[in-house]
Amino acid sequence: MKVTVKHWHAVAQWRWDTGAAEPEGNDAENEDVCGICRVPYEGCCPSCKMPGDDCPLIWGECTHVFHMHCLLKWIGTPASKQQCPMDRRTWVTAERKVGTA
Amino acid sequence: MATAALRSQVAAKWHESFSRLNRTEPGITGLISFSQAWNIATEYLHPRDITDPMAVKKPADLASVKVAFDMINRSRRLPVMLETFLDDICNQYHLITRDIQKYLAQYEESGDTTVMLRLVFRLVEWFRAWSPIDELGPTIRGAYTLTFQTQLFSILPPGFVAGFKALCASTLVPVAQHTPEMWDAFEVLGLTDRYEGIIASVGYERIEEYVRETCTGKWDKPCLEGLRAWMTSQIVPWMLPMYAKGAVNTEDARGMLQNVGSRFDFHMNKTLCDLRTSEIFDIIIDFPDSMGALQDLKECLQRVDQRASLVQALRKANRKRLLHPGADTKLILTQYVATIRCLRIVDPPGVLLFKVADPIRRYLRERPDTIRSIVANLVGDDDSGDALVDENEPIQPLQQLEADDYNDPNWDPEPIDAGPDFRTNKPSDVISTLVSIYDSKDLFVKELQVLLAQRLLAITDDNFEKVEKERRNIEILKIRFGEAALQVCEVMLRDMTDSKRIDGHVQSQKASIVHPTIISRHFWPSLESSDIVMPGQFQALQTDYAKEFSTFKPDKKLRWLPHLGTVHLELQLEDRTIEADVPPLEAAFIELFSDKNVWTMDELVAGVGAVDRTAALKALITWIDLGVLKEDQENTFRLLELQEEAAPAARTAPAAIEAPAVSAAQQQQADQMRLYWKFIEGMLTNLGALPLDRIQTMLRFAPGYDQTPEQLAAFMEAARREGLVVGRDGMWKLNR
Repeated sequence: MKVTVKHWHAVAQWRWDTGAAEPEGNDAENEDVCGICRVPYEGCCPSCKMPGDDCPLIWGECTHVFHMHCLLKWIGTPASKQQCPMDRRTWVTAERKVGTA
Repeated sequence: MATAALRSQVAAKWHESFSRLNRTEPGITGLISFSQAWNIATEYLHPRDITDPMAVKKPADLASVKVAFDMINRSRRLPVMLETFLDDICNQYHLITRDIQKYLAQYEESGDTTVMLRLVFRLVEWFRAWSPIDELGPTIRGAYTLTFQTQLFSILPPGFVAGFKALCASTLVPVAQHTPEMWDAFEVLGLTDRYEGIIASVGYERIEEYVRETCTGKWDKPCLEGLRAWMTSQIVPWMLPMYAKGAVNTEDARGMLQNVGSRFDFHMNKTLCDLRTSEIFDIIIDFPDSMGALQDLKECLQRVDQRASLVQALRKANRKRLLHPGADTKLILTQYVATIRCLRIVDPPGVLLFKVADPIRRYLRERPDTIRSIVANLVGDDDSGDALVDENEPIQPLQQLEADDYNDPNWDPEPIDAGPDFRTNKPSDVISTLVSIYDSKDLFVKELQVLLAQRLLAITDDNFEKVEKERRNIEILKIRFGEAALQVCEVMLRDMTDSKRIDGHVQSQKASIVHPTIISRHFWPSLESSDIVMPGQFQALQTDYAKEFSTFKPDKKLRWLPHLGTVHLELQLEDRTIEADVPPLEAAFIELFSDKNVWTMDELVAGVGAVDRTAALKALITWIDLGVLKEDQENTFRLLELQEEAAPAARTAPAAIEAPAVSAAQQQQADQMRLYWKFIEGMLTNLGALPLDRIQTMLRFAPGYDQTPEQLAAFMEAARREGLVVGRDGMWKLNR
């Protein structure tokens, strides 16, 4: 017997490729969240309404990842001293190298 | 012995009496003539037995009778005469009693009202026969009438009343010929006054009968006008001789009838109101074809204070006919909406509605699928086309309850019979009312998302108009629920368009038969998870597509939800070709069969990763139904390269696609509860057995915990079934 697929209407979720290992399972608990707003990466920052390309992530050289809007807002405050909120190193936006980070 | 004084006193008296009777006649001639006159008079007045022809009064010489009365009057003996006369009547009354009994016996035997009529006329005959001449003056006549009537009423047996009523009723149906004389006879005998209540009740009963006859089940047009016309043409002429006796002109008659007429009119209203009250449930079912009945009811209720009984009747009918497990939720909702519409016509302030709606709302709140039904209706999901919402009704935002605005010049106080917790729901629309069954609209929004997700995922990419239709729906719902509440739905819709766009791009780079819907995971209701791994070429297709996607969107990757979607397959067997639209699990199984013809159930399940056995069996049965597989022994399946006789003819029609893969809101709640299981597990480990309320109290410390004790109990019960805990005497402890 030969099975020919004529058409496949599939369903998939998109994920940010953060370079971290794919979390196992679908569980909400062990999922990466933005360190600033505590909303999952695939959600959107508090000031956005649409997730995905409208509310992208930003990678730091310190390997920390945030919603871009969240981080820019943080960096914009004087208290931040231009540091990464997680490790207090000066924030340097990493050049994204797809699939390698 | 008598003293001289006494003797002289008696003598004086005697003398005085004598001279009065003897007048001034010489000797005792005066006395003799008086005694003659007395005899003539008493003889004349004596009540005779009119049944006895011998005793019938001879045509007495009226002139001499008059002279005799005159003489008696002059001797001032008239009162004594009268007394004797009245005594005579009493003594002779047994004659009349006899007659009455005769007639009544006859009536009771035949039931013929003409017998009653004859009885009445007979009584009048008696009355006339015994009546003194008019010259004696009104006093004597009055005294006579009174005595006659008193005697009459005292001897009338109970059976007479029934007969009398029947007689009155008989005059009503076709306006009878003898009516005027009959009413005159009644009047003469004093029956009109005495039996006024009975006569009126005849009228009432006729009205009731007529209303029931003509209005029962006729709801399309208002009946009240017709009834009024009937009253004017039928009942008023009947009332005329009785209540408007002696009216010289119509103006006069109208004045006399006003009082009794309004009583009859009231009764008509009341009867109609009672009738409609008893029919109210069916009237509501028939709405809007029962407008007439509702208008009648409204008008009647203004006249008759039957509001409480209407509420009671409707509540009772609802309880009996609507709010029971046998009724479909959709049906209850439809009836509820119809009730809202109907009662708003009957009672615009909404007091009746509030009282009736309360039990329905409470009942609906307990039904698990109420929200789903309402939401399905909102998005036009039902195929019956029987939408709760009137298409023409303007869409407006959900109304929140407002406090009374006392600066409003049109402010009205609450109606007088409003209950303490009555809330004026002003001209709120039906959807607002339905949504307000629940305390918050969040539940609706959640359910709406679930429903939308189901519908969107069922859309295959070739009919994109459906997405547009959903978008329009959501736009409309946004007006109701507000922009913010439906933000999530907005994201879902955008995912649909994005998927389309991305797919277009990917296809242009590298054509693929995979056309995925790519969703944003946090914005879709939690989808049932599954651990299926698509085998063989499917895996390859997925990987290829995902790679292409990552090239297009370098910072994103795809994670497949392999159990969702549909696959269109073509199976090339040795003797036939089968095309089918199947869910992915089915596709995965048949893919396995392309390697090897016989598989056991365990092998199959292992071949696609982990899958529920019932789901697997269902998928395999799909193929068996299509005549592709055959279960030779239990749990062993064989591919039918050659069609077998026993197998049903291969169908090329696509198999039905079902199984909405999105878990219901209820399921989500259970998932949410799973989070708290950790807490419960912890506290039961540390503290041993705990009662339910203690667990509830402690869980309240957990962030976001909002379950009621009932929900917790249900959850614990579920946990017990899974063998996680044991419950004894209201105490729960871990099962280990």
